Amino acid sequence: MLVKLQFLNFFNFFCNRKLLVAFCLIVTIQMFGHGDLSERILLKTIEIIEDPENYKLYYERGFLYQQHIDYNEALEDYIKSESLGNTDKVLHYRMAEVNYLTNAYSNALVNIGAYLKVDSIDVKAKKLEAQILFKLNEYEKSLKSYQYVLQNTIDLRPEDIIEYTHIILSENNKNYNSAIVAIEFGLQKLGSNTISLQLKKLEYLKESEQVEKALQQFNYFIIQFKRKEFWFYKKAKYLIEINRKKEARITLKFATRSIEELDTRFKNMESIKKLKEQIKNLENKTNQ
Amino acid sequence: MIKISAQLILMLFTFFSFTQTAIADIPEIETIARIKNFGVSSDTTAVKVERGPYLQIATPTSVVVKWRTNVPTESVVNYGLELGLLSDKESNFNEMTEHEVSLTGLKPNTKYYFNIGNEAGVLSESSTGDMYVITAPKVGTKQFVRAWILGDAGTANNNQRNVRDAYYKYVDTESANTGKTDMMLFLGDNAYRTGTDVEYQNAFFDIYHNMLKKSVAWSCLGNHDGYSADSATQSGPYYDIFSFPTGGQAGGTPSGTEAYYSFDYANIHFIILDSHHSNREVGGAMYNWAQTDIQNTTQDWIVTLFHHPVYTKGSHDSDTEDRLIEMRENFMPMMENNGVDLILNGHSHSYERSYFLNGHYGFSNTFNPNEIKNGGHTVGISGKGDGKTDGDGIYQKTNEATAGAVYITTGSAGKTSGGDLNHKAMSVSLNELGSCVMEVEDDGQGGQNLTVKFIRENDEVDDYFTINKKGISQKVESIKKAEKEITVKKNAIALFDADKDVVYIKVNPGERLKKVKIYNNLGKRVIKSKKSNIDVSGLQKGMYVVEVKTDKSTYTETIIIE
Repeated sequence: MLVKLQFLNFFNFFCNRKLLVAFCLIVTIQMFGHGDLSERILLKTIEIIEDPENYKLYYERGFLYQQHIDYNEALEDYIKSESLGNTDKVLHYRMAEVNYLTNAYSNALVNIGAYLKVDSIDVKAKKLEAQILFKLNEYEKSLKSYQYVLQNTIDLRPEDIIEYTHIILSENNKNYNSAIVAIEFGLQKLGSNTISLQLKKLEYLKESEQVEKALQQFNYFIIQFKRKEFWFYKKAKYLIEINRKKEARITLKFATRSIEELDTRFKNMESIKKLKEQIKNLENKTNQ
Repeated sequence: MIKISAQLILMLFTFFSFTQTAIADIPEIETIARIKNFGVSSDTTAVKVERGPYLQIATPTSVVVKWRTNVPTESVVNYGLELGLLSDKESNFNEMTEHEVSLTGLKPNTKYYFNIGNEAGVLSESSTGDMYVITAPKVGTKQFVRAWILGDAGTANNNQRNVRDAYYKYVDTESANTGKTDMMLFLGDNAYRTGTDVEYQNAFFDIYHNMLKKSVAWSCLGNHDGYSADSATQSGPYYDIFSFPTGGQAGGTPSGTEAYYSFDYANIHFIILDSHHSNREVGGAMYNWAQTDIQNTTQDWIVTLFHHPVYTKGSHDSDTEDRLIEMRENFMPMMENNGVDLILNGHSHSYERSYFLNGHYGFSNTFNPNEIKNGGHTVGISGKGDGKTDGDGIYQKTNEATAGAVYITTGSAGKTSGGDLNHKAMSVSLNELGSCVMEVEDDGQGGQNLTVKFIRENDEVDDYFTINKKGISQKVESIKKAEKEITVKKNAIALFDADKDVVYIKVNPGERLKKVKIYNNLGKRVIKSKKSNIDVSGLQKGMYVVEVKTDKSTYTETIIIE
């Protein structure tokens, strides 16, 4: 009798379409699924089946979808969560993120605006706003938002500074001086030897044809680094680009000698073998 | 009906997912004690250490000690060379709960005992001498180094504890260098599910408490850490818990961010990348930093770690997942060309270890172990073997043959998750719990061996391999001097006499010296002369180019003034 009852329960269970789908999902995930997120999405789906009017659950699943890079599903869940009464500012932030990531910039701007109405000093939200405005070609507004980020973020990253300079140059593609000022600000905040910023400074000095300053910047790298061979080569290459062949020749001599000074194993690395070839090619150019 | 059925599904699912964690997840005794203490304590203001101490950013002369107290108080570290005589003290009188004290002015490669406390007294100490830091050796030192490598450890269950205990047993019973663990290398996902502070307490501090107070912990960011941490603002538990060198203070190139950084230990250079949040493109900030960093090291060994594996067919697939493909295609050509030796990844909850590779950046099915020509896919005669002394032979690097690296995906320090485990670049693929230990030591023949062992949770060593480098213990300076003398003899146009601080110019017979110019390494002319004996006593040490003009030609020569 008990066995029969259990069989009937089991039969009923499989007759429920929703649950059958969920069961199939489980099996599928076990067979093909990779990663913990898929499992968590499924668990959240089961919770939603249990409690379909709970906006919190839709938000949570939406965020899981977002992390899983299923942006459409994420947005659907966020919208559903909002329709069920979720007024949390974080929901607007997530919607802004997803819209931004799916290139729906106007919608993203509306979402982040709703967030900032509630919390106008959140640097993360201001940064997203700046990024959205940048995509909408609203460069001045974007710069204003980003300035707030730079002034108020405790732990800035080199990437933040570089992104800010990209906006500066998008607003005015000749405004290298402001971009370099921003780089200097970053170096002051993050440490004067932060390499990605020093490299970006060099790039801007070259692009803005500030030749002597660019050469000084090459010299900074030559002084700063133990191994100088790559920097001598890069400086020589630039000297040739600006048609200062004699200086390039001398700089290439330093590059070659620096390689000779390396331990044997470094000399035999692919990067150094390639560098030697590049030096040879440049030497030929200086002799032309 | 729905409710019961849903529960059934949930149970079924749970059974599928967590079969390997069948043993109940029992909190550690110390955690229980702490919780109970909170519940019954009548003195709510008593200062207690809730977390740590743990060690960060060790250099040859400094280390950072961190801990947490239940209420704000001052920070004091007493330290010294003898357990009973902690005569040095470093304090911070600001009251706080998150304590971070830098000990500076230390001697390299030296053991310092310490305790932590506040102005009122000691809050945590070890009477048996198990709370100490051994400072890093001077950069370039060739000595035994042992690193414990833990990938995806943070389950806070008995799987994790068994893996931990197997390593503790290993290190305590090794006949040589018993008990020595120079560092812990965490490959991310250190605390499931989302790397929250509480999860870190349970899966990191409570589990590794005994090791964290005597061995320095380094880590890269995992995707689960990244759920609660934000690299864009370097905030959240991961960034709050760890302190990493952003300014190159532990060796390496300043990155300006804790998301990726490098450090030196002995003669090993470690490069830690963020494969989760940071831009992985060639030419991106992280790539530019990594390239500059690796091209500036003169260390004998280069080890890199990041979370997402470049080769895996475990619970993740390096043929289909973006981050994994990008790290392989973008970073690995550059790193291989600059001599990387060992790549440590997690993410897949298994142990997968490659052959001795070079130049394979495609999908699994494009891997050809028999391709040993320049650029891939395996290196040397033993490259497609198992890398074992008692097997196909160890992997070999020499000063002439510098290519070859082993890739390890070791993400099973907390759980296993299966997968096909059939990546063709892998020599070994195991769906087993375990952690790895890396040991670097002299080979007795002027070189060094880098050996990695996979230590199972049942104490078995299921895999090991060795990379040998020849000739790295030779006196490089003396070789260089000999080479230089030969160079000088061959190129007699300019000769530096160090005893007299003079550069002699010798022109070819039949030519007349007209002018000599000497340039420093920034390209600035520092001397102009018409003499054949030039006083250079006013020049700084360094490399110079001497340009000699005769009536027939112009010659250039480099000299080094030492």
